[in-house]
Amino acid sequence: MDSFIETFHIDWKIIIAQSVNFIVVLFILYFLLVKPLKKMMKDRTETISGGLNDAKVNAELLLKTKKEYENVLANARIEANTIFQEGKKEALETKRTMIENANKEVEQMIASGKKSLESEKAKMIEEAKAEIVSLVVKATEKLLESHKDETFDKQTVEKIKKM
Amino acid sequence: MTTENTVQESNTIQEHTSSVESSIGAEIAPKGEQYTTESTLYAEPIAHFGSFTVTNSLFTSTIVVFIIIIISIVVKLSIKKIPRGIQNLFEIVIEGAENLCDQVTGDRKVTDKAFPIVFAIFMFVILNNWIGILPLGGFGLVEMGEHGNLFIPIIRSGTADINGTLPLAIMSVIGANIFGILSIGIWKTINKYLNFNVLGSIFTKIRKDPMILMTAPIMFAVGVLELVGEFAKVASLSFRLFGNVFAGEVLLASMGAILMYILPTPFLLLEVMVGVIQAFIFAILTLVYYTIASSDHDEDHDKAEDHAKEVELSGVH
Repeated sequence: MDSFIETFHIDWKIIIAQSVNFIVVLFILYFLLVKPLKKMMKDRTETISGGLNDAKVNAELLLKTKKEYENVLANARIEANTIFQEGKKEALETKRTMIENANKEVEQMIASGKKSLESEKAKMIEEAKAEIVSLVVKATEKLLESHKDETFDKQTVEKIKKM
Repeated sequence: MTTENTVQESNTIQEHTSSVESSIGAEIAPKGEQYTTESTLYAEPIAHFGSFTVTNSLFTSTIVVFIIIIISIVVKLSIKKIPRGIQNLFEIVIEGAENLCDQVTGDRKVTDKAFPIVFAIFMFVILNNWIGILPLGGFGLVEMGEHGNLFIPIIRSGTADINGTLPLAIMSVIGANIFGILSIGIWKTINKYLNFNVLGSIFTKIRKDPMILMTAPIMFAVGVLELVGEFAKVASLSFRLFGNVFAGEVLLASMGAILMYILPTPFLLLEVMVGVIQAFIFAILTLVYYTIASSDHDEDHDKAEDHAKEVELSGVH
């Protein structure tokens, strides 16, 4: 044993110093390198796996929503078609009613128009007649004033009487 | 046990050494004088603080400690959620190393517990191995020895000295046993080496199985052999590493003595690989010791017996 110690110069002080060196390395590596890096890697893995789970859930949700959307859309189409058909029906009915009403109204308007037109015509004729008479009288008066002799008067009076 | 190579002094060596020597206080040999370089089995002393002697191996492993401290602080300060640069490198290394450890332990829980010490051993050994083979042969001290001026390199791998590898091996084996105690309990760990359970079973099982009188002492002796094996582990770990690294340094020095600069280059590259392999072997063996220490022999034995019974029963049916 002594020769072994002597050959290799085994020195317990150096062994302790080397042990201290290694223990320092162990603690430094553990607390400054391995532990924080492993924690960071674990956090990152959790974040990524969480993200993947979220993505999976979102994809499922998206699929579900898409199905719901398609169902709603199909129902809406059917409903819209029904509403449209009903609306079309109602619109046709309304149109028909309106046309009928319009026709009636037009007929009424035409009838009342004709009536008023005729009364207007009669009125106008009456007025025209009255106007013509007054014009004739006036014209006659002016003519008579310009030809004041008895022969003319008599002839004219006769003519007028013949009229 | 020492090999001596007389190397003609070159101006380069003198220039390199002068700066180091002046700070430490060693003598500087005059120009043109011959130096003797020795490849000793032990680390050479380079400084004394009272009764404490600082060897070049201790100096190198202290440099390694500082390098690791600096790297660790840089990594710690640069840790971000999105890894970059050195953080990326260490994340790849740690992840790869953990996966490798999983293959050895077969259990992530054991890996998580053993990994810090295994990783520390790997880093400490690999940096020591590499720094030891750095081509800094010109840096050193010159001392007056029995054979004239003796050149002492200031850098010598911490693992090229048995005083450096022995504490690592001791801590590895003791650590494994502490880990065993924490994993399977103190009684089971003691019974691995001093199998009192087997001795006790002589009294309980002798009626059923008289052969136990023969088997129990053998089992107890096997346990004692395991205890001896623990010391063998320390010896094998420490001497394997020391021998390989020291041999590498001697090889490089010898090649350099034959043909400076050119001949050592391929061996230098070889030693870089040897450094990695030796660090890897040391770390993996430590992990294996941890794994063995954390496994329960009795439980394994019971499982094996159960399995054997199952096989027998299935054979009967």
